[in-house]
Amino acid sequence: MRPIFFTIGLIFGTLHSAQAQDTGTPFQDILQTHAGEVAKPSRRSVSVVLDDLIAAGLPQTTEFLEEWSARNVWQDIDGTFFIVTSEGDQLGLRDVDSGAESRGDKRDFTQIRPNGGVRRVIGTALVQFQLSDPDLARRETALVSIARKPEAAQLAPLLASIDGEQDAGLKARKVQLANFLSARFADAPEDRIAAIESLSKDTSVEARSVLNQILTVKSGLAKDLPEGNIARVLDPTVAPDAFYQQLIDADLAPIRTPPTVVRAALEANIVEGRVADIPVAQLDTDEARNRAYARLAEAGTVPQLVTNVYRDAALSEHVFYEIYNEENAEITAAAEAALKSVEARVGWAQTADLALDGLSLASIYFLAAIGLAITFGVMGVINMAHGEFIMMGAYTGYVVQLFIPDYTVSIIVALPLAFAITFGAGVTMERLVIRHLYHRPLETLLATFGISIALQQLAKNIFGTQARPLTSPDWLDGALVFSDVIQISYIRIAIFVLALLFLGLILFVLKRTRLGLEVRAVTQNPGMAASMGINPDRINMLTFGLGSGIAGIAGVAIGLYAKVTSEMGADYIVQSFMTVVVGGVGNVWGTLAGASMIGFLQKGIEWLNPSNTLAAQTYMILFIILFIQFRPKGIVALKGRAAAD
Amino acid sequence: MKNTFIAQNPSVLWFLAALGLFTFGVTMLSEVTGVGVISTSFVKTLGKTLCLCLIAIAMDVVWGYCGILSLGHFAFFGIGGYAVGMWLMYARTEGIVLESLTSQTIPPTPQEITDAIGNQIFGVVGSAEFPMIWAFADSLFLQLLMVVLVPGLLALVFGWLAFRSRVTGVYLSILTQAMTLALSLYLFQNDSGLRGNNGLSGLQNIPGFKATPQATISIIFFIASAAALALGYVFFAWVVSGKMGSVVKGIRDNEARVRFLGYHVESYKLFIFTITAIVSGIAGALYYPQAGIINPGEIAPIASIYLAVWVAIGGRGRLYGAVIGAAFVSLMSSWFTGGGAPSIPLGFYTVEWTDWWLVLLGFSFVTVTLFFPKGIGGLFDYLVRKPS
Repeated sequence: MRPIFFTIGLIFGTLHSAQAQDTGTPFQDILQTHAGEVAKPSRRSVSVVLDDLIAAGLPQTTEFLEEWSARNVWQDIDGTFFIVTSEGDQLGLRDVDSGAESRGDKRDFTQIRPNGGVRRVIGTALVQFQLSDPDLARRETALVSIARKPEAAQLAPLLASIDGEQDAGLKARKVQLANFLSARFADAPEDRIAAIESLSKDTSVEARSVLNQILTVKSGLAKDLPEGNIARVLDPTVAPDAFYQQLIDADLAPIRTPPTVVRAALEANIVEGRVADIPVAQLDTDEARNRAYARLAEAGTVPQLVTNVYRDAALSEHVFYEIYNEENAEITAAAEAALKSVEARVGWAQTADLALDGLSLASIYFLAAIGLAITFGVMGVINMAHGEFIMMGAYTGYVVQLFIPDYTVSIIVALPLAFAITFGAGVTMERLVIRHLYHRPLETLLATFGISIALQQLAKNIFGTQARPLTSPDWLDGALVFSDVIQISYIRIAIFVLALLFLGLILFVLKRTRLGLEVRAVTQNPGMAASMGINPDRINMLTFGLGSGIAGIAGVAIGLYAKVTSEMGADYIVQSFMTVVVGGVGNVWGTLAGASMIGFLQKGIEWLNPSNTLAAQTYMILFIILFIQFRPKGIVALKGRAAAD
Repeated sequence: MKNTFIAQNPSVLWFLAALGLFTFGVTMLSEVTGVGVISTSFVKTLGKTLCLCLIAIAMDVVWGYCGILSLGHFAFFGIGGYAVGMWLMYARTEGIVLESLTSQTIPPTPQEITDAIGNQIFGVVGSAEFPMIWAFADSLFLQLLMVVLVPGLLALVFGWLAFRSRVTGVYLSILTQAMTLALSLYLFQNDSGLRGNNGLSGLQNIPGFKATPQATISIIFFIASAAALALGYVFFAWVVSGKMGSVVKGIRDNEARVRFLGYHVESYKLFIFTITAIVSGIAGALYYPQAGIINPGEIAPIASIYLAVWVAIGGRGRLYGAVIGAAFVSLMSSWFTGGGAPSIPLGFYTVEWTDWWLVLLGFSFVTVTLFFPKGIGGLFDYLVRKPS
């Protein structure tokens, strides 16, 4: 009966479409051929309609399928299908062939509501249309939807669409996706293995997830190892309790009797101060309690005591294993190998990323410490308020942003302003305090500490205790992405560039200018320099101002990526001192070496123990303490007379 | 022998007399005798101040006499506090746990007791296991031994490493600062085994003295602190007098010359560094039961710098100077920050001392360093020299 009906339908359909050439509504005619299936689609019947539509290859198909799936196709009393563009009492209608707009009373139409399953089938069919759609954006959307939810059915249309693709970027993406799909869904195992092997050079998260999908396992347990593509056999003695729980879940073993259960059972069975003839007072050890429990179990009052011995016996009778969902062992082996090689590549990429992180941390330390290196190294003066100069610079940036809303301009204004303000503060401090203490270095430390706590509290009084933002310009947002693993934010790059600039600038000032010459002369021998006509007082003042000014600029840079608080200086002061001491006093290159060593070391230790940056800092400080034992004068030590205190 | 020591150091007798009088006076005026002029909380403040004076003496010996500006002595203070705090916390929690467990029908097993105590103490950092370092926490004697041993050993190892490689002056200061920073950062971790940034708390409740009122406990600790300070003072006065004291002061003034005279400078420095670390640990062990709580913030580098500030303000190189500095600055500090000092209205702005005390302290510290390098103790020189 059924085949005959179908044949009739087919003939009728052909006739109808033959007529359609005349009526000029070919698309409507195809729909009318399957009017029943279109109006009340089921997952099975819808494919008939789709096959016909695809075979006809009419340009309206994509739009109709989308609207159909979106429940925007309505049918009038005559059975004609329309696309509804606006709802209400009066529906806005569009002809499926010509696209002509019209209106109609809502009561004369019925909405077609394909269910979820049908819509998924339509969606899959849509993909192949979208993949070759003339509109670039639609092709992209189609690829995104494939990437999000890869399915076996997408493979063929995707492969078919590759050759016709004009856009080079999309074509590459299509090839990549097709590779992912064939790795998982291709029919022939050779194709899959080839695709899997081609993934072994791809470090993207997507490729790794494809490989992991192939390698998904389910765990199982049995008396004997079953046939199949076994991934691995597990050793239950590693975590006996967890494995025993699996036995319990599989109803293969009785529930364990933990001490709390024993205790509860004993408490429930106290008879005249005794449990199974053992006095309650004696039940203060686990052995005694187990003994009492065992007696209760013998009497049948409680279930049997399951001790660790029992547990281990039960575990040894079973074998625990993981079995691949993929049955073909060759494919899983290829995927394992590919994943291994990918992970090796990811490891290298992570090392590179770590190096970038270390570099940026090193530049931050360098910026924070270089000012200190000048004052401490060149002048032998410990400036505990150096951190507060960093803070002053950061707050200068914050205040400038209050007045200049444009972030780019405000940063350009803030950098020289921060330098000017901290330069002034440094010179003032040198004139008022430090000048008097040149022969008492330990007391400089304490006096500048006094200034440090006063400045910190002043900042707290003025700006409050909460963190203030120092917003970076838009063009510093985001990150430079090399791959899924290696990326670095633009702010960190900017700080790195700034650090390089300062390195160059300071080297230039010290080696190529008159001021630098005089600074070096005073450093080496103040008395001789003075007799050569250099004013050591003035040089000391300018040097101190320069070091402080650089701290101010470092403050702006640090404020861009960390919050500005009154305590931010204190966070950097100890690290800065260690940078200078490790690097070697009185040498710009030494500071650079110290900052690099500390930066890379800290990142390296953090990598070994990623959950705990506190521990990383602790170990780093311990390392520095030990390092100083072996190179008390730092990495780059001065030699000769200048090295003496 | 003893006569010569006292004769050489008349200030010791004066100090002991003043301290004894002070202790007697405070005890008489406290709530214990019923007079109640001095509240229990102030007795605690005074007791804590005495402990700070003790560590200030230690700091004075290591810095003022030996010339080592250690910026890490509060680490030893904190270790002493932690060592005694572990016992206090363990014993008290054990008492509470036993009480709650014995009310149950079946007596507890040892394992259950340990688990319950571990839960009580380490629940706050999401753990219930006792870390290794708590192995002796149940024994008061062993923990008290730790108060002496741990700071002593740490100082011995650290000092040996540092002095052996001739790290001196500013470098040594920074190195000691790094040490205390490392320790406080380590203790801030939750898995350090000492409750992370929560620290140890409830230390004012002394196990076994539940019925004793806090007023009595505070006076006992006050007198104990005074006794420790007296002993420490006499001990250090003895150390810095005589031949050894002269060598130590020589090292301060010109280390190279003392070395050339044939003295083993490193041993002297190491001895001073270690012995002061031990005294610091003892001071901490007396301080924290009065404070009631200890956390890693207490041993942050800044605390040790304050210690140097006290000694500098009080006057370096004289023991009573350190005592005066520590007592003066810490009491002033608690007066100003506790809202004791009246605010100064300026019309357009009111100076609240809670906000401005640190500014005042900072600048007055600069002033003292610049103009009064001998500190408050220097004033006594005027008094003593006048007759001559």
